[in-house]
Amino acid sequence: MLEIKNYNSDILHDISFQLLRGENLIILGANGAGKTTLAKVLCGLIKSNSVEINGQNPSKIYGKARSQNINYIPPTLEIFDEFMTAREFLALSQLSNSFQIDQLLTLLKIEHLSESFCRELSSGESGLLLIASALLHQADYTILDEPTSNLDPMRIREVFKLLSDPDILESRIIITHNLDLAYKLGYDILYLQDGTIAYGGDNQRFFESDSLNHYFDGSVKKIENNIVVAL
Amino acid sequence: MKPIILIPSLLILILAPFFGQASIDLMDLSDKTSMSYQIFWELRVPRILLAFAVGAILSLSGLIFQTLFRNPMSTPFTLGVASGATLFTAIAIMLGLTLFSPLFAFMGATLTIILLFIITARFDSDDNASLLLVGIALSFFYSAALLVLFFLSSLQESYEIVRFTMGSLDIVGFDNAALMSVVALLLLLLIYHYRYELRILLTSYAFAHLKGIRVKQLNTILLLGVSIAVGVAVSITGPIGFVGLIIPHILKTIYAKSADRLIFPIFFYGGIFLVLCDTIARNLGTSSDVPIGVVTSFLGAPFFIYLIMNRKRRA
Repeated sequence: MLEIKNYNSDILHDISFQLLRGENLIILGANGAGKTTLAKVLCGLIKSNSVEINGQNPSKIYGKARSQNINYIPPTLEIFDEFMTAREFLALSQLSNSFQIDQLLTLLKIEHLSESFCRELSSGESGLLLIASALLHQADYTILDEPTSNLDPMRIREVFKLLSDPDILESRIIITHNLDLAYKLGYDILYLQDGTIAYGGDNQRFFESDSLNHYFDGSVKKIENNIVVAL
Repeated sequence: MKPIILIPSLLILILAPFFGQASIDLMDLSDKTSMSYQIFWELRVPRILLAFAVGAILSLSGLIFQTLFRNPMSTPFTLGVASGATLFTAIAIMLGLTLFSPLFAFMGATLTIILLFIITARFDSDDNASLLLVGIALSFFYSAALLVLFFLSSLQESYEIVRFTMGSLDIVGFDNAALMSVVALLLLLLIYHYRYELRILLTSYAFAHLKGIRVKQLNTILLLGVSIAVGVAVSITGPIGFVGLIIPHILKTIYAKSADRLIFPIFFYGGIFLVLCDTIARNLGTSSDVPIGVVTSFLGAPFFIYLIMNRKRRA
């Protein structure tokens, strides 16, 4: 189980919720609402005493216990070394045998990039590489921070299909601005507003028209069962 | 390793002891009483071994510092380790304790490291930018202190201090060369032992944390190991700049491989580079050997700039 209890900081206030293993969650919120900060607190990159995953504080454990509990996939790939190839990068995440590198490269249609240097990939390509690394890593809880933000519409649909496969990851926490993706995945919603949880619960109820108007001030509409941004 | 640079490098290593101001008679090399034998075995071979070991240590240390500090310009010299050693050697010279100057140099380097770690214990585990800034500040402090010593010293003392800061590979016999070689091999083993962790660090610190790496502990072990090795090197040869900065970059550009896979090439070619520079320094026909630091910079800087410019064009 993942649990955060009464977490407070400059950015986040009174954050508490639980997520059982096998359950999924979507985190929504405006820019600067504290989504990424919350993700970093949950995975222990920001130290705290408020988080427990499988009974352990992720910022205080190391080695396999650490990597097994939770993984965080940032929105952009950050690599210091100039000459690390995509395959070499993925090999560092091969902590389970659920998937093989070549299998994922094919699945995500990036097999032609396997020997390219990570730093020379486009933002969309490196986004796909990050998703592949999450599947190789296979943590109990995987936080994906804006996994589709740099992808073209066709890729977004492919990634949606992949993410909605229940067997692909155990528990996923997805941070996104793509409301249609959030709606179609159907997971429970956690909506952050100015560092507090403004909504936590059922997906269907959050995406009812009244609720959408309340949270998005008319900029989001539900049209033929799709969530659309109205400019 | 690429044969096109490996073969000339091996040739340099083998032929280096035959070049120098005194010519070596091949026939005399088996005769223990001959002049050639003594120059060859007592002076040149130990010197080349020393040059190789120091070159290897400085290059590996550059690789580690550049990786851990995420800064292409950082070397143990940037962090004040070498300046600390130099300052303490100058103090030894001023106190008339020239005999103990290697000990003082080592103390200066170690003290700097301890100081750095005490200060940085207050920082976050991966806040290496602050450590780098503290190191740079320390370097300036040491430089100022060295100037004070110059101001206070006699002409003879100033001369000795200046000679030390230029770096020198003058040694007699195998003692120091053997010590340096052991230190170089230990450093190589240490880094090789942590090559997997190092490879993970080549991505990002956050990534390393998430893979379960004890980042702070790893940083401490590697920085301490490197700094001690550099401290020993500086205590024997004085500060030899530039090698640690350029060799990792040059080899990365030539090989186009991630840094963790260049541990052995950087060790080997770093050693070769200093042997080559020293061979040139010994054979310029001047009455005394040209300071080694001068040659490393004169030879390294243009080649380095050439490589950087080529790389920009390619990108």
